[in-house]
Amino acid sequence: MAPESHSSGSQRAVETLAAKLRRRQVLGSRETALETVLVLRQVVSKARFTNIHQLVEIIRGVGRKLVEAQPKEHTVGNTVRKLLHHVREEYNNASKGTAASAANVFSISKFVLQGQPRKQVTAQKAESALVLREDDPDDPDSFARTLKPVLMEAIQVILDELETVYENISKSAKDHIHSDEIILTIGKSHTVETFLKSAAHYHNFTVIVAESGPSYGGHDMAQSLSSAGVSTFLVPDSSIYALMSRVNKVIIGAHAVLANGGMYAITGSLLAATAARAHSTPVVVCAGQFKLTPLWNLYHEYGALDFADPSSVLGFEEGDLVDKVDVVNPFYDYVRPDLVDVYITNDGDHPPPSIYRIIKESYDDEDNEL
Amino acid sequence: MTKAERRELQERQRAAKATGKTAAPPPPVNAKPGASRPSQPPTPASPAPKRGSQARGTAPAGATTGKGAKDAKSVAEDAVVRSRGLRIFSHFALQRTVAHAKGDVHPAIVHLGLMFAEFKVSGANARCIATLSVFKQVIQDYTTPTHNTLTRHLNTHLSVQISHLVSARPMAVTMGSAIRQLKLEISGSDIDLPEQDAKDALCHKIDNYIRDRIIIADQVIQETATKKIHDGDVILTYARSSVVENVLLEAWEEGTRFSVYVVDSRPMLEGKRLLSVLVAASIPCTYLLLPALGSVITEISTVFVGAHSIHSNGAVYSRAGTALVAMMAKQHSVPVVVCCETYKFSEGVQLDSFTKNELAPNGDLFSSFPLTRPRGSLTLQNQTNLEILNPLYDLTPPSSITAVVTEVGVIPPDSISSIPLALGRQV
Repeated sequence: MAPESHSSGSQRAVETLAAKLRRRQVLGSRETALETVLVLRQVVSKARFTNIHQLVEIIRGVGRKLVEAQPKEHTVGNTVRKLLHHVREEYNNASKGTAASAANVFSISKFVLQGQPRKQVTAQKAESALVLREDDPDDPDSFARTLKPVLMEAIQVILDELETVYENISKSAKDHIHSDEIILTIGKSHTVETFLKSAAHYHNFTVIVAESGPSYGGHDMAQSLSSAGVSTFLVPDSSIYALMSRVNKVIIGAHAVLANGGMYAITGSLLAATAARAHSTPVVVCAGQFKLTPLWNLYHEYGALDFADPSSVLGFEEGDLVDKVDVVNPFYDYVRPDLVDVYITNDGDHPPPSIYRIIKESYDDEDNEL
Repeated sequence: MTKAERRELQERQRAAKATGKTAAPPPPVNAKPGASRPSQPPTPASPAPKRGSQARGTAPAGATTGKGAKDAKSVAEDAVVRSRGLRIFSHFALQRTVAHAKGDVHPAIVHLGLMFAEFKVSGANARCIATLSVFKQVIQDYTTPTHNTLTRHLNTHLSVQISHLVSARPMAVTMGSAIRQLKLEISGSDIDLPEQDAKDALCHKIDNYIRDRIIIADQVIQETATKKIHDGDVILTYARSSVVENVLLEAWEEGTRFSVYVVDSRPMLEGKRLLSVLVAASIPCTYLLLPALGSVITEISTVFVGAHSIHSNGAVYSRAGTALVAMMAKQHSVPVVVCCETYKFSEGVQLDSFTKNELAPNGDLFSSFPLTRPRGSLTLQNQTNLEILNPLYDLTPPSSITAVVTEVGVIPPDSISSIPLALGRQV
């Protein structure tokens, strides 16, 4: 049996997604995360491995390929990291479960050695019936055969989390917004949209949507909110400061939340957050946990060095101007942690300084570089 | 009752309310019923309780009473919130329809009114000069009625013209101070002067005002401000100010080599016109929309902006978005220089952009969207629950302004209040 033949189908799936990412045909962080999980599921189900290292290497390889295709779409890497974390956890469950579970005693030295507050429960719940035989020369598939069902379960867990992420974020919406508030948001974010709509079931409030040029996603957002019965005002970006003195809360979405508590968000978010800070208005960021990115020392300037089409800023109908003028049209803004008051995730509310801890809990350190 | 059901119920009630509204007489607050938001005029007090009972009546029998009551309450609240949302913005209501000329309005004024209303003439200086030039014409075509004197009657004649202009678009502060000056001159002119001589004298005074307070003032500002631009500087400017435009052009002509970032934003997108002027003078330019400002602000050496007017506490009332630019610049320790003639000083103090503002018309009046998306998807109209607001101005607090360049020198924003006195304004 050829060692590579098994992966031809999944290989194709990986290549297809990589191409789509490169061409920006998959847009939106959740969409990307979902696609990544589906590809990873295919990869894992077809993969042949005889020990944990091979499995990890296979997943990593796929992750690298996808991340290289679109390094600015951080959710791809995050999803891969999350899966690796789950894989190791399941593996540890299965293998250490059979071993003695005396490791549960807390000691400061272990804490220091471990270096991260990994959940300590591994040993306890492992009533595992699995007997793992790594590198069994007689039956090389036995390892994969025993591990795969649990892996599939783990992937399903990630998938479920992604599918319910908006609902879970919106669960606390009614506690964050109360009646008669004026909320400002910018551009279009599915997370914020669901959040506001779910709060609208309980309270009546007014939303001011800044349109966020040049994509003008705010128009869609305003359309969708108003048709859901939320009282909506659509304003140009220029009037953010003028209106901020009457705004009670700024609620925006994120593209990626970084380990230092800062975030990348749609261009214009920095303006809104800074104006909010100038008026002491709280800034609330709605983001699913899959957006948490274990990086922070990134290219902060020029909005993460990711540029959109300049023709949407200065169209070709401007004839003679086009070839004489530089046009800047970044996708994202970097918003510093001190400009954000709270991150509302599908796993509770977190202030920016505690983001690093959640990241430590949900990913393994060795995967920060795929 | 499920969420969907509840929503459906609300929608039905809203529809009922809307039909009730159209039947009702137009509310008094909004003087022009057909203006910009026909769907949701400020709610009169009566519908709320009525709709409350209606909600209770239509609630399905299976629904628990608690739910029903809550529903009714939320519907009532809904009406309150909507009307409140309107109330916040109601005072800068848009005056769209140019009123038919009432009384003895000069045809040139009617023409100018239309130009104002359609933003064919915009900008504080341009509007002021246009108004004064037309007033010259009005004064020349004026004949004093019998049994009256020019000193007494001309002012009332002008007031008619002015109120027509104001009905087209709210008056600019510059126009206000120029008109005040003109009225002062009229009432002060010699009663014994022959009519033609008096008119000529007034026209001469108007010419002098334009020359001294606007044209010469701009030249002095240009001279002062160009000294603040050095070789290798990166200048950022927002929207389009005639003074800033001239400052940049002159500095370039003098041989200073710098580059310009033109920041722009809807609703007016005036920066594009500035851009074409600067590019024609072969100044290296970068063009960006306001949201991208955060990405480039670190590269800027000085921000130059113009002003619509400046208040005595140093707050600058200018094109919407200026406050954002100034705020970001201040945060990154980039000096913010405002170019402003002294006749733009206004005596009051305004604390935020809400007390006085103006709305730009809805829709894509300025053809401001690049054609990358179908225009229909970008030009939303007002509809139930959705209102489109385009404030034209905002107020930059003095704390984010470094200096104001006027024809009497470069002064910090805190010292604005002393300038009119120093210029010899009679108290």
